Amino acid sequence: MYLPAGVYHETYAASHAWWQTNFVRAKMALLVVFVATLPLYTSLYVISVANITLYTILSALGVQLLIGYCGQITLGHAAFIAVGAYATAMGVLFWGLPYPVAMAVGCLLAGLWSALFGLPSARIKGFYMIMTTMAAQFITVDFIITKYVSRVGGREHYFSLPPGTITIGGWPVDGEVKVYYLASALTLLCLAGMANLLRTRVGRAWIAIRDNDIAAETMGVNVVYYKLLAFFAAGVLGGVAGAVWIPSLFFVSPEHFQLSWSLWLVGVVLIGGLGSLHGVVFGAIFVTVILELLKFAVIPLSGVYPALTERFLYVKEAAFGLAIVLFLLYEPRGLAYRWQQVKNYFNLWPFAY
Amino acid sequence: MKRLALALLALAVLLPPLPGAVGAQEVKLGSLNDLTGPTSDVGKDVALGIREAVQYVNDTGGINGKKIRLFLYDYGYRVPEAITTYKRFRDFDRVPAVLGWGTGDTEALSPTVAKDRMPYLSHSFSAKLTDPKTAPYNFVYGTDYSSNARAAMTAWFEEVWQKDPRFKAAREKGEKPRVVMFYAFPIPYATAPIKALKDHAALLGFEVGPDQDVSLVALDTKSQVLAAKAFKPHLAWHGNTTMSVAATIKDAHALELGADHIVNNWGYDENLVRLAGPAAEGVMGIAVTAFYGEKVPLMDKVLEYGKKINPGVPPEARMIRTVQSWVQVLMMAEAMKRADKAGKLNGPGIKEAFETFKGWTPGLGRPPITLTATDHRPGSVIPVYRIKGGKFELVKNVDLKERWPKQWDGEFFGY
Amino acid sequence: MALFVELVLSGIMVGSIYALVALGWTLIYKCSGVLNLAMGELTLIGAYISLTYYHWGFPFPVALIAMLVTGFILGLVTERLVLRRMIGEPILAVIMITAGLSFFFRALVGFVWGTDTVVFTPPVFPREPVRFFEMVFAEIYLWSFVAAIAMLVILVWFFQRSRWGLSMQATADDEMAALSLGVSAKWVYALAWAIAFMAAGVGGTLLGNINGLNISVGYLGLLVLPAVVLGGLNSIPGAIVGGIIIGILQNLSDAYVGKLTGGGVKEIAPFVFMVIILLFRPYGLWGWVKIERV
Repeated sequence: MYLPAGVYHETYAASHAWWQTNFVRAKMALLVVFVATLPLYTSLYVISVANITLYTILSALGVQLLIGYCGQITLGHAAFIAVGAYATAMGVLFWGLPYPVAMAVGCLLAGLWSALFGLPSARIKGFYMIMTTMAAQFITVDFIITKYVSRVGGREHYFSLPPGTITIGGWPVDGEVKVYYLASALTLLCLAGMANLLRTRVGRAWIAIRDNDIAAETMGVNVVYYKLLAFFAAGVLGGVAGAVWIPSLFFVSPEHFQLSWSLWLVGVVLIGGLGSLHGVVFGAIFVTVILELLKFAVIPLSGVYPALTERFLYVKEAAFGLAIVLFLLYEPRGLAYRWQQVKNYFNLWPFAY
Repeated sequence: MKRLALALLALAVLLPPLPGAVGAQEVKLGSLNDLTGPTSDVGKDVALGIREAVQYVNDTGGINGKKIRLFLYDYGYRVPEAITTYKRFRDFDRVPAVLGWGTGDTEALSPTVAKDRMPYLSHSFSAKLTDPKTAPYNFVYGTDYSSNARAAMTAWFEEVWQKDPRFKAAREKGEKPRVVMFYAFPIPYATAPIKALKDHAALLGFEVGPDQDVSLVALDTKSQVLAAKAFKPHLAWHGNTTMSVAATIKDAHALELGADHIVNNWGYDENLVRLAGPAAEGVMGIAVTAFYGEKVPLMDKVLEYGKKINPGVPPEARMIRTVQSWVQVLMMAEAMKRADKAGKLNGPGIKEAFETFKGWTPGLGRPPITLTATDHRPGSVIPVYRIKGGKFELVKNVDLKERWPKQWDGEFFGY
Repeated sequence: MALFVELVLSGIMVGSIYALVALGWTLIYKCSGVLNLAMGELTLIGAYISLTYYHWGFPFPVALIAMLVTGFILGLVTERLVLRRMIGEPILAVIMITAGLSFFFRALVGFVWGTDTVVFTPPVFPREPVRFFEMVFAEIYLWSFVAAIAMLVILVWFFQRSRWGLSMQATADDEMAALSLGVSAKWVYALAWAIAFMAAGVGGTLLGNINGLNISVGYLGLLVLPAVVLGGLNSIPGAIVGGIIIGILQNLSDAYVGKLTGGGVKEIAPFVFMVIILLFRPYGLWGWVKIERV
């Protein structure tokens, strides 16, 4: 941790603090102000893009926890987001729960479901873990939700959420701006929570398991317990993501949570950089913004080559695949690493290291 | 310039949420289509037809002098894209009405369009969209799937089961006809008419076999056909779009299922004949308008505009779907004209205009459309066709209201 | 009973196609340790390429051979451009790069060829069914089975007898030793990918002949994973048997279990089966008992 000259701590509490210098505290305050006032001076379009980015950040947070901090490779995270989303939607639509309570129920269910599929991690790892989480994805979304849960209430219901269904104590969450406030508040909370969690014993246990689980076991870390805890926490984060996403939708459908979304999230985490919270944010912003820019770039070109707009959905996917490949080839440690390098450059100037 | 536009847009957001406050000389219209997804086999032709029809409307005076500005987007039959596109229509493009596509997303958006007061004229004919009590702002331009299915089954029952010598022995033994349904279980479009069809089967005295799940993009349906074969059906219902229906019919032919086929309207077109080849002979199905190139009023304009606007697509490749799009656009244009005459060219105004339709038809083989404030079903006469020698011939026009007048207004309504 | 036998037999025939694709996958894994998530897309590309050649007027065998050559070249190019630099990287990066490739290939195929079902016109194999005692089969199934077995035999012969095949086996067994004996690891990897492209392409072409080709063939690639888990990751005969078993399993579960759950079982049954195998016998039927236990 680089402390600039002149900053020194006189108490243990000060040296253990998360934000240790005034500069960092000012940065954080500025961030909160920026996020809170964004809707005042930007267009609705920017807000909707911001909503998608926030949703991606929340979804990718769970994946980062599992892969980047605990070393368990997961390719099925969309399933747990789906559990959270559906549980919250059912709570609001069928059981008349207020939205915050439904969200809590959804998070709990998602966490438990995730821990259930994390059980095999006690015995297998690596490739087999990937297979199991992929199977979790298919079984949860393509089977259970598509066939049973989404049929609950008959075809009349469809889990339709016309604007105004979701209210937080009388304040209806409809329209992009209100969803933005909800999403940004929860995202900041989750990021802060994750960062703090990683500074505790639990976080250190996870990092130990990631680096060498056998050594961690010999040092007394209860590997099975912490792995399950990691799956549970990731599930809870997925539940938050799902619950936050549904006010922005007009209806919930299993198509939102397919395998491609799980792969997308792993791609976001890899582009941003494994093992870093900054990475989640950078990766999400990068992926979302690049795809929007692609849309603008394609429109003038489509005069010359009309197939581009017709098949734009494919151009999007191809661009994403290409982005992952290029990042892994040329920047394997992700954007967070690049960010660190840039910061170091300024911190250490005029020295090189 | 862009920033000015964005700032104005931000201001426009603060205005009351009545869709489509219209600007001087043009009327906006949104259209959701599938050009790249699982229903793109019929979706692409539909999109071509919509563009041509809009051009025709603009060339013949527009909406009382105002030109239609079309916003046509491809959403790939994917639900997330449907939601994003609808938001775009409502918040950015600010259209007063939308031309919809898929059953799943149309049904699910139905409470939202009702709240937003956005008239939604869809290519999906799900019966749920025809009841104004639950879907006040949804409209369809053809008879609904459930009625179509009932009509097809009735036509087969009356014309084939009761008259064909093939089944004489079975009839004399007092056997009940047996039917099996092939459709995609997870797709709302495919499951829309199934309950009504099963009820109708019970009404007519059929025995219903186990349903078979055939995906919209299925290439190999042999295990489903084999499972159906065990039931020895006389009739098979196909609820998917052309690609998978063709695959199923080919497999049924190859594995000698021995059943006659009736097909839902989105699986029954010129492409079916091309894909299924000789297996398509004798297949019956539903068509809500005339086929491409038939001699009916206004078809000459359809052919003319097809050649004019999309010369790259040969006329042999065009299908009935183009004709369907023309009917859809002309119906929307007519409603917009009436709303404009009444001085209310906005969401609620267009809805009211739709409900003034009495016996209106644009030609093109579409039986007259009558809509009221309590019934959004366009009519009760349904033509059933059969493929003979690679061409479509009319078997009969089934009038459900005439046949079962009590049920038409009662239990047949809205599911 | 006849239904059961018909299902099993047609399952074997479809399974032989899965076996071909699984073979390609296992080959890549054995030789270079890469877990390839893009297998389905390789199948797709090969199938569409042979369709394009066929529609350009070449007779079917010529189109097939042209596809093999194209697939070979594509495999070499992919390996050189993308995989060469990933040697030695952690397993997740390698898997994700193949996932990225799969996104890219699938989008490319959709972009170039669209999503409509396309059929081989004129049909390569006659459509009339073949009778076998009481059971009816489409002729295409028999031909795919024959073709798949032929390809398998050729590949197995290649590995056991030819010089290159033996070099590949040596590299798979112990890379250091093979390098010290003069085997070029780079060429071995490239060859592994090339053969995988070819095998997948043949599998895709056969599938395309059954009822037509569309982008859903790409999801086949995911089915390959249960097949190789079942057969054992490093075993070629395991991949073959695994593919056939998965084919049978799909048909049987669709017909029998599908009745209980209302359909939709066909796609996920192999995965459920895979999870069960993973819990009790993770190294499959023939795999090396070398996986790390926690």
